[in-house]
Amino acid sequence: MLQRTSSVNRINIDTISFSSVFEIGDSCFIKGFSRAIANQREAEYFNAKEGNFSVYPVFRKPIPLIPIEEDISMQTAQLNPIIKVQNIDIIGVSASSVIHIGNSGDISMEARVKHIRQLYPKNNTSAIRP
Amino acid sequence: MNYQVYNRDLCIGSIRVLGVTSSSVLMVGDTQTIQLAAAFDTPPESLLVGPFVPLTPE
Repeated sequence: MLQRTSSVNRINIDTISFSSVFEIGDSCFIKGFSRAIANQREAEYFNAKEGNFSVYPVFRKPIPLIPIEEDISMQTAQLNPIIKVQNIDIIGVSASSVIHIGNSGDISMEARVKHIRQLYPKNNTSAIRP
Repeated sequence: MNYQVYNRDLCIGSIRVLGVTSSSVLMVGDTQTIQLAAAFDTPPESLLVGPFVPLTPE
């Protein structure tokens, strides 16, 4: 199958972080995975040695994928085999994300996030502040 | 199932994105398959009110 060509005139990405990828060109297989414990506290309290993924079920629970049993016959006709983009502007790319210009085969991405908030009791903030 | 696709002219002026995060994909191109999964957990028990207890150690 003849694939299309991607043409991007200008791209500007400010930040790429935490195992993210900016790929120009074709790829066959992409598999991305990220997990995070996002802890918000009412006051600054940092402890470098805390946080354990294995205690939270959200990181262990399998994500079921229903198999495609339907037989699909797909025909693609490329009447104009080019994808033109004049300008792309991205501020941030993070946590195993991918910016891809070009074609790919199979893409599989997974993200797991545990969000925790820690607050002081209401109307009694001064008593227990460290 | 019979699935027919005709790719005609595709021309985009400008794409502006603030953030691409948590195993997301922004793609200019074609792909055979795409499979995305995300689990986000913030149950009521995750709101801890009281003195700050450190999380389970590493």
